[in-house]
Amino acid sequence: MKMTNKVSYLPGRAALLATAAVITAFTLFPARAADTVTQERLLNSEKETGNWLHHHKNYSATRFSSLQEINKDNVKNLKVAWTMHLGGVEGGGIWSHGGLEGTPIVENGMMYVTDGWGSVYKIDARGGKGTLLWKMDPKTDHDWAGAVACCGVDNRGVALWGDLVISHTLDGRLIATNKETGQVAWQRQVADPDKGEVITGAPLIVKNMAITGVAGAEYGIRGWIAATDLTSQKEVWRTFTIPGKGEPGGETWKDDNKAAASGGGSTWVTGSYDPATDTIIWGVGNPGPDWDNQYRPGDNLYTDSSLALDSSTGKIKWHYQHTPNDPFDYDSVSENVLADVTGPNGVPLKLALEADRNGFAYAIDRSTGKFIWGLPFVKKVTWTKGLDPESGKPVEYDPKKTVQRYNAAVSPHRENKVADICPGNMGGKNWPPTAYNPDLKLWYIPVIESCNRITVEESVPEKLKPREFWTGGGPSQPFKITGSVTAIDVTSGKIAGKLETPFPNLGGILATPDLVFTGQPSGEVTALDGKSLQKLWEFNTGGGVNAPPITFSVDGKQYVAILVGLGGAWDKWFIDSTPELKNIQPGSMLYVFSL
Amino acid sequence: MTILQTRAFAAAIALTLMSTSFAFGQSAASSDPTEGGKAVFKRANCVGCHKWHGNGGGGYGGDALSLRKTELTRDQIIETVACGRPSTGMPFFVRGAYESSKCFGMTRADVGPGMPPEGGTFLRPNDIEAVADYVLAHVKGKGEPNHDECVNFFGNASRVCDVYKAGTQLPANSISSGSPSK
Repeated sequence: MKMTNKVSYLPGRAALLATAAVITAFTLFPARAADTVTQERLLNSEKETGNWLHHHKNYSATRFSSLQEINKDNVKNLKVAWTMHLGGVEGGGIWSHGGLEGTPIVENGMMYVTDGWGSVYKIDARGGKGTLLWKMDPKTDHDWAGAVACCGVDNRGVALWGDLVISHTLDGRLIATNKETGQVAWQRQVADPDKGEVITGAPLIVKNMAITGVAGAEYGIRGWIAATDLTSQKEVWRTFTIPGKGEPGGETWKDDNKAAASGGGSTWVTGSYDPATDTIIWGVGNPGPDWDNQYRPGDNLYTDSSLALDSSTGKIKWHYQHTPNDPFDYDSVSENVLADVTGPNGVPLKLALEADRNGFAYAIDRSTGKFIWGLPFVKKVTWTKGLDPESGKPVEYDPKKTVQRYNAAVSPHRENKVADICPGNMGGKNWPPTAYNPDLKLWYIPVIESCNRITVEESVPEKLKPREFWTGGGPSQPFKITGSVTAIDVTSGKIAGKLETPFPNLGGILATPDLVFTGQPSGEVTALDGKSLQKLWEFNTGGGVNAPPITFSVDGKQYVAILVGLGGAWDKWFIDSTPELKNIQPGSMLYVFSL
Repeated sequence: MTILQTRAFAAAIALTLMSTSFAFGQSAASSDPTEGGKAVFKRANCVGCHKWHGNGGGGYGGDALSLRKTELTRDQIIETVACGRPSTGMPFFVRGAYESSKCFGMTRADVGPGMPPEGGTFLRPNDIEAVADYVLAHVKGKGEPNHDECVNFFGNASRVCDVYKAGTQLPANSISSGSPSK
């Protein structure tokens, strides 16, 4: 029978045993029942070496797979195994087309991907080909959501729990779909597009809850993180990222304009989870109005911060803020990668690693929120001379001042209305995820090597309207923007390598024992040597890659998968910085590679 | 010679309008002659920067003109759509602008790095006139966008107009129903 062909990749006795197991499975369970995802499996996801059960691969967000059938010696032979066209390219609201930013999920040969408008596709990836089993179209309200999506029609993926596929939609819903039938079991409205809120991120499953983040800091939202009980479908907690008056941190909003009520602090990138302390660690975005920090004097907690929350109550345990009273739009929405290393003095360190929009990479003690080390990962930083070695705050930060100017000559503010900033407001690094190799202790960052120009517009309360931009100005792109993959040695906190790329990295990174995989918006999917970052393999997909690669195995054979379809903010707002990309056409494709 | 200053061009527009007015896709029952222009406003993605209500505004794309507050005349609107606006994000929508026909007296070489981007679609002269007439009839000089205008633009199939319903202005930090307050 056909399946026995697959075991020819396994040597000797293993092949015989595997063949027997496969034949048995097919004999006893000809129609395979859906697997049940439990918290036990999610906590032990690394034991399922062929699966990719979490958005970021595991709760620590390392995006590292131990699979090494594909390795540095044979990756040059990697080729397309199969492809599939998906949908969701149509436009809506202010967007002319959708794009693909999602991370696929794979469980025992079944793959789950999303398109930009939130349709979920279940694909049978067994047998060396892809077969679409079902597509759940959530009928996202294109006009309602698309009008207030600042940065593209995108959906970064699903999560698995029980016998359900858990997903979000741009128009603010959390949806649970039956894994077997593809029918919607239930859904609830978590975000409110009437307030300028949309959802682009993938859910995080912790115990029996789905954790949801929100986007909209450019539209005057007050950001939050919410937990929905997947059994009762009720909201368990909602933690606002902007404190109310009288709450801890509320004193860092010192204006008379109720700025905090529309203070931003969005949470649109999926966070990580530390089971040992039952702590969710999540990144918080920019304050609003983005570029008029004089409107909102004070440090503006908890914008531009990493937040640690108790998973059961959502209570904030600690925070670390990267850019107080931010005038640049330097979000800290990034994933926090949880890594355990031995520090310089032989002291064991439990770290949370964050590559920030502001161009600096931070290592924080994830038990206390205390700064350990930080350094620039971009080639050019002009907004600050550097970080204070003790506190990690920019050296120009003055806690006695309510409005921060940092390097005033190049900072956008009401008295310097046109300013060129490096990195550009898009970062540094944007949402595309980093990856961490725990054997090499190397952390790989998808870098946007950038500068851009900010023009400030003074904000007044009358300009604040529901569903309208609340940004205090805007960016323009007079400078060419390139990219790199930059590796940091996490034990020393130093740059270990940088491979410069012609275009910014808009997709993110996958790490395996000796390889790094990534893509370029000009079409290439590449494999690099994990130590030297030398390019070992490349394939041009003919589209714009702005999604992260994953790897998985089915019946003993390893595959690399990536979604390809240029979208997001780049080809609408930032394309002038990369004029060669103007010819990249929209599309919606899944590529799967193997040896 | 610019696109607008040739009599031949003006005559061509007039002829085109006369000969295509019934083939334009307007239903016999439509009482608003600017429906075709509204269709162009959507198809050419004017909404993408100027928003459905035409008020534009700042943000990532820079400050798109408010077509409600503008003082541009019909001719100026037509010229701006045809030729874009150099050194801004306003695209040009006529095939051959700055090449086979000058814009603002300039060729592509003259305008240099200020060359406006190309629109997502090219528009014919009658489409440009139609969208200008739509803006003049329904956008220019109007006050704040309201629910009726929104439904007129989108129809009723979406929740996009809910925010304009009287009495549903939510305070910025309230929580929608179904979730516990904290």
